[in-house]
Amino acid sequence: MTISLTRRRLLAGSAAALAMPRLARAQGAKPRITAISQWSAGSDGAAISALGKLFEDRGGVWQHNPVPGFTTDMMNKLRAQIMAGDPPAISQLKGPEIAAWSKIAPTVDISPLVKTAGYADKVSAELGKSCQPGGHWIALPLQVYRLNTLFLSTKGMERAKVSKAPTTWAEFNDVADKMKAAGMIPLANGGNRPDDGQKFEIALAGISPEIYRRALMQLDTDALNSKEVLAAFEQLRKFANYMNPNIAAQPWAVNLPAFVKGDMGMVMTGGWAQGNLFKAGATVADFSSGPAPQDSGPPCFDLNADCFIFWKSKGADLDAGQKLFAEIVMEPSTQEMYSKITGSIPARTDVNLAAPGFTDGQRNSAQVLRDAIAKDRVVLSLAHNMAQPNGITAAMIDVLTEYVHNSAIPAAEGQKKLVAAVAGAK
Amino acid sequence: MRTAATHPAAGKAAGIEQGVWRRRFGGALTGLAIWLPLVASAGHVVVFTAWTTWVSFTASSLMPDYTWVGLRNYFAVTRTANFQIAYVNLVIFGGGFVLLTMALGLLLAVLLDQRVRGENVLRTIFLYPLAVSFVVTGTVWSWLLNPGLGIQKVVQNLGWTDFRFDWLVQSDKAIYTLIFAGVWQGAGFAMALFLAGLRSVDADLVKAAQIDGAGPWRMYRRVLLPTIWPIFITVFVILLRSAITSFDLVRALTAGGPGISTMLPTLVIYDFMFQRSELGRGSAAAVLMLMSLVVVMAPYGLYVRWQRQKQARV
Amino acid sequence: MKWTRLIVYAALIVLAILFLVPLGVVIVNSLRSNQEIAATSLIDWPTQVVFSNYAQAWNKFCMAEHCWGIEPYMLNSLTLTIPATIISTLLGALAGYSISLWRFRGDEFVFGLVTLGIFLPEQMKLIPWVVVLRDLSLMNTIAGLVLIHTVQGMSFTTLFCRNYYVGIPQDLLRAARIDGAGFFRIFWRIILPLSPPILIVTVIFQFTGIWNEFLYGVTFTSGGQQPVTAALIALSAAITSEPMYGEQSAAVLIAALPTLLVYLFGGRYFLRGLTAGAVK
Repeated sequence: MTISLTRRRLLAGSAAALAMPRLARAQGAKPRITAISQWSAGSDGAAISALGKLFEDRGGVWQHNPVPGFTTDMMNKLRAQIMAGDPPAISQLKGPEIAAWSKIAPTVDISPLVKTAGYADKVSAELGKSCQPGGHWIALPLQVYRLNTLFLSTKGMERAKVSKAPTTWAEFNDVADKMKAAGMIPLANGGNRPDDGQKFEIALAGISPEIYRRALMQLDTDALNSKEVLAAFEQLRKFANYMNPNIAAQPWAVNLPAFVKGDMGMVMTGGWAQGNLFKAGATVADFSSGPAPQDSGPPCFDLNADCFIFWKSKGADLDAGQKLFAEIVMEPSTQEMYSKITGSIPARTDVNLAAPGFTDGQRNSAQVLRDAIAKDRVVLSLAHNMAQPNGITAAMIDVLTEYVHNSAIPAAEGQKKLVAAVAGAK
Repeated sequence: MRTAATHPAAGKAAGIEQGVWRRRFGGALTGLAIWLPLVASAGHVVVFTAWTTWVSFTASSLMPDYTWVGLRNYFAVTRTANFQIAYVNLVIFGGGFVLLTMALGLLLAVLLDQRVRGENVLRTIFLYPLAVSFVVTGTVWSWLLNPGLGIQKVVQNLGWTDFRFDWLVQSDKAIYTLIFAGVWQGAGFAMALFLAGLRSVDADLVKAAQIDGAGPWRMYRRVLLPTIWPIFITVFVILLRSAITSFDLVRALTAGGPGISTMLPTLVIYDFMFQRSELGRGSAAAVLMLMSLVVVMAPYGLYVRWQRQKQARV
Repeated sequence: MKWTRLIVYAALIVLAILFLVPLGVVIVNSLRSNQEIAATSLIDWPTQVVFSNYAQAWNKFCMAEHCWGIEPYMLNSLTLTIPATIISTLLGALAGYSISLWRFRGDEFVFGLVTLGIFLPEQMKLIPWVVVLRDLSLMNTIAGLVLIHTVQGMSFTTLFCRNYYVGIPQDLLRAARIDGAGFFRIFWRIILPLSPPILIVTVIFQFTGIWNEFLYGVTFTSGGQQPVTAALIALSAAITSEPMYGEQSAAVLIAALPTLLVYLFGGRYFLRGLTAGAVK
């Protein structure tokens, strides 16, 4: 009798110990975190290093594996680690990929931490949804970029005698024609696939965010066949004609010296361009930035965000590390520091950007984000893998990049190809 | 146990009698040293190919998932513009690259065979591109071939303002730029093998031909080149393999662009398998590529077997 | 016929210049600062010669939080490439020797299979290798990469060696066997001394191939253990960063040094060996 009672007590005791939530159990261990990202160079590399330093200042051990190359190389490494049964504690991931990848390996439920920090209502609903594929939080957004940002060269505007930034596509085309007549290159060429895709989505978002949602985010066939999408293709053809084809195969930053000098008028890309411009020697006086043209209504916000996903790992020190990392990332000061380095805007909408170190462009972006959230005019970027999983995105970008580089394809045919690509990739 | 005396030595023209082999191979260590690497190598070829073929019939996307879906992946892949363009490009690039590299390599070898001064230096100059990685080759040539930065700009600055060399940014011509970069990198290899072959031709043969009054042109055409015919085959196979598995070069030089006009099969495989996280379709693309390889290599294999049978009969 | 000599020299010089142009561009760019290249053009003479790119590339440039330059990655590549080259060459020589001179049943078939390996695209083999390394507990180790490159390299080295060894006359082996020599002794005493030309070829091929490999290098290692190709890619421009052409050129030259040296020394022995009529 006595023996079984003791055994029962032992069993009960150990069951209680096992039932303790993972994160609470982590209390005693020194926090350590293993991370995989693609941010090895430039301002991204600097920002993630700063984040790592912050982690170490708070008593953690930071083990970051930067995978050089494109996102695909990083995902390859992640996949290899997951298949080997050794996922990193956190890894960079975004958009629908969070949902897709969460199905292949177990993740950590950080909803309690999010609740404690009151984070859920501080970020845009779209972003929050992408981080909660199963109904609870498994990822945290780190920074947000506005894709539909228009940068104008001060000297370029003087040269073409343009006094104010265009606010509709018709005005934009007007300005571009004036610049072309003045002997300048009106629009910068991104030189790669995502850039061709992003020009299309900026055109469509500027024409109609509702159609954007239905066509690019929900893949509704009627929306894809609509006249707004056709108009976007036509605008895209105009963009192609305003760009310098010679820069096609180079990284887009090659455009920057010309932009600063005034030989190139406009750059239409995400907010990170600001950081590149400063690195290239531009000053705040050399350019102005604002939302890309919007044909009707207030400017919409074409959103691209980077998030970190939390993988279930073995070891109390990694559990503690994940807890510490989550807390750090959700803090306003961390996001402020991160965005100052990369030129993005924080994922939190309540960060005060009036502090020095932020530019007016960033402040404007943040304001537009707040307004867009309130008026439900936030759309997710297609070209940067926020709107669709990679398979569908790649198929659509194939069509868009081919269209941009082959002027023999008429807009209507481009639209047909897009519809076919979506059907084939589903 | 058979002895050398009882076991017939006939059958194969070259080689050592099988029974003797078995005796000499005593010792597990010897067997292991021979067989383990061979099994590992041949085995990995077979197993990996078989696994890829199996996956190509499944619904694998982000990870292998062994639900059978039949030929769906194959239909999906072959219907994409990516794939169709890639195979056309493979023919253009493969054919152009192999032929031009061999031609230039042969030319360089013949030129260097003329006992020129500074042969060592020249040979090193033609060989060094092989030491450079494909990524670097692609990157540097993307600078040189860029119309706004490279050759076109330099020539225009020199005065020929109408000079155009913007193939790199034209959808229908970009594939030829790949051939440029590839030939630059590979010609040295072909040259080295051809030169070695030319130098190792039997001196008596050359002397006999000289006595017969053959000039240099006829010497090359009738004597030297036919003698090094087997080297042509080796070079051809290696260059063909280089063209087919070409990946880093394309990624660095054009990234498949402009648009999707310079896609190649390896890029399609990479694109589907890793970028789109569709392992099933990527595996189907890989299997299709291997099948097209068989189609090309089968005539070569049959030729080799026919050659060997001819030799055996002699 | 003096004018043919002239044509030969002229052709060689023109071709040599064409071959040297890319190297020249990289060398010149490595002596220009990043800002200067970005501000003017990729192909131009330096307005001001700087040597700092080399120091930057060697031990100062940052890959995320590690500002080690490419020095540690060079060491990683050496630790990976030298063993893998030596082992795959040796195994290939053994395999080629046994296939070509010690016939056994199915040797053609095995040779065919091994050779087929050179045609398999590396993308296709990535995931199977992950599974293999996982089962052998070699993920994220240099040893794992050495294994991969050795097994894959055997396809090439066996092909080269076997085609070379078929030219060795049977009498040599028969005489040795009559003297009582076995498989390994014949290999050591007779085959290997005859092999330098082909071994140089395989060493060059393997060293270059493994040194310049990127996909596997990045997938099967982590952080500070990555090979030098990873560092080179980190230096090339990404979407959100600006190009650092000067530093990139310097790094490319430093990273290409080992392979260039291999070619410099190997090339001489290679042709010398063959022209000496080693195998007649």
